[in-house]
Amino acid sequence: MLQTAFNGLVTGIIIALPALAVTLLFGVLKFANFAIGAMMTVAAYMVYALNTELGWPMLPATVAAAVVFGVLCILMDLVTFRPLRDRGGLTLMVASLGLGFVLENLARLAYGNSARSFAMELARPFRYMDIRMNREQMIAFVVATLAMGIMYILLTRMPIGRAMRAVADNPSLAQVRGIDSAAIIRWTWFIAGMLLAVGGVLIGMDRAIEPPMGSSYLIPVFSAAILGGLGSPLGAFVGALLIGIVSEMATLVIPPNYRIGIPLCVIAAILIFRPQGLFGQAHIRR
Amino acid sequence: MSEIFRVEGLHAGYGAGDILKGVDISVTAGSVVTIIGPNGSGKSTLVKTLAGLLRARQGDIRLKGASIRDFPPPKRVHAGISYVPQEYNVFRNLTVLENLKIAREFMSGGRAKGKVVSDELVELFPELPSRFNAFAGNLSGGQRQMLAFACALTVKPDLLMMDEPSAGLSPKYMTDIFDCIRKVNGTGVSVLMVEQNAIEALRISDQCVVMATGRVRLCSDAATVLGMSDLQTLYLGDAAASRESWAQASAA
Repeated sequence: MLQTAFNGLVTGIIIALPALAVTLLFGVLKFANFAIGAMMTVAAYMVYALNTELGWPMLPATVAAAVVFGVLCILMDLVTFRPLRDRGGLTLMVASLGLGFVLENLARLAYGNSARSFAMELARPFRYMDIRMNREQMIAFVVATLAMGIMYILLTRMPIGRAMRAVADNPSLAQVRGIDSAAIIRWTWFIAGMLLAVGGVLIGMDRAIEPPMGSSYLIPVFSAAILGGLGSPLGAFVGALLIGIVSEMATLVIPPNYRIGIPLCVIAAILIFRPQGLFGQAHIRR
Repeated sequence: MSEIFRVEGLHAGYGAGDILKGVDISVTAGSVVTIIGPNGSGKSTLVKTLAGLLRARQGDIRLKGASIRDFPPPKRVHAGISYVPQEYNVFRNLTVLENLKIAREFMSGGRAKGKVVSDELVELFPELPSRFNAFAGNLSGGQRQMLAFACALTVKPDLLMMDEPSAGLSPKYMTDIFDCIRKVNGTGVSVLMVEQNAIEALRISDQCVVMATGRVRLCSDAATVLGMSDLQTLYLGDAAASRESWAQASAA
């Protein structure tokens, strides 16, 4: 049972990064970005190329790919979403579905359908209190916790993070407080892109690198973001941990194949009983 | 006194039609100008256009002689205009201190130095320091208005624009807010405000602008307008009943 809970914690912390990206993008741009799955896939393939084809170690490969992918996200926004910004969240969501198809199939075109893995040495699992932790899990745990800590400092202690929260809270007031919304949107894409890149690498390490790897995480990621309250960074983190642990623990009583049903049940329950999520705010549409 | 702000032949609106149909206003440096008028006269549309939230279709807006008509809202703020909207005027999911920090960091265009909350600001708004860590959404209406006002003053603006600063406030906060406006104006900041509470606003104003149907109907000394016997009628926008008052004001 402890082992299952630990596995759930690691799964939760891995999905916390893309869930935070979803919630940041939703907060600032007010749309659900369904391209995040494919974005993680493309970022994971970028790291794979640097790691296996150019022989870069994982850490510099991930850092370089995260920065480049952050810039790519700004360009994707420029080409795909910015021209549609005034059309409302539904149009942007549909555009994100289209972008997701394009990105996933670009990855398929470049690397085919077969599963691949990063060039990492095999390591013996570590044991503590009857919990078996493999190296990939430990790396995922440390990297994701570090990334969440950096995000917390960025959002609460730094002007750019405060400005992102301000734009998410009230875009027109942000403008008359001197905040350049266009610059904040670019920063949001850059940061979300970096989070998605790191998330893609962690998923690739945990499972395998293949074209549908990111889209298979869409439901848990969105469940986490909705459970925490779309637009709430803290909510995304707590929601991800809850989804990860509950999904894994559920395998003690239901067959593992039905595990994916748990996040769907969470989405349904949240939408019925607390649509604003655990940390979100209720909005009245007039 | 020199003119600090001028609006000339301003047209603006939503959709196909214009709500503002050629508005002309002038603000003298160091003065308080109050805009009154009936509901739907275009007062709020005017301040939104002046703040840059609504595009001006025709006319010009000049601050210290330079046109700011095509400036986006942040650039107008950096040019020296602070705007306090009527509602949703604080970031509700941010703390009081974070609201003040954002205002200081971004309204100054990165030039702000020294303390986040100056001693002058604490003197003007003594309630704020005890609520620094409270979320702005949890403040009362009056406290929110005070916070919005404080945010607008974290950098000393050339022109402070306010949209209905006393709307929905208790009598205590209403008195406080007009006191604050008077004190701020005393430091040399020019004030342009839209206000429903005409009598209280005119008591602290130098000039009054009466708007109706998207046009300026009267521009006169606040004291003259305050002395009109049928100010209420004028304020409600009954043109026929107000004709005599306007004639008196024009003569004055």
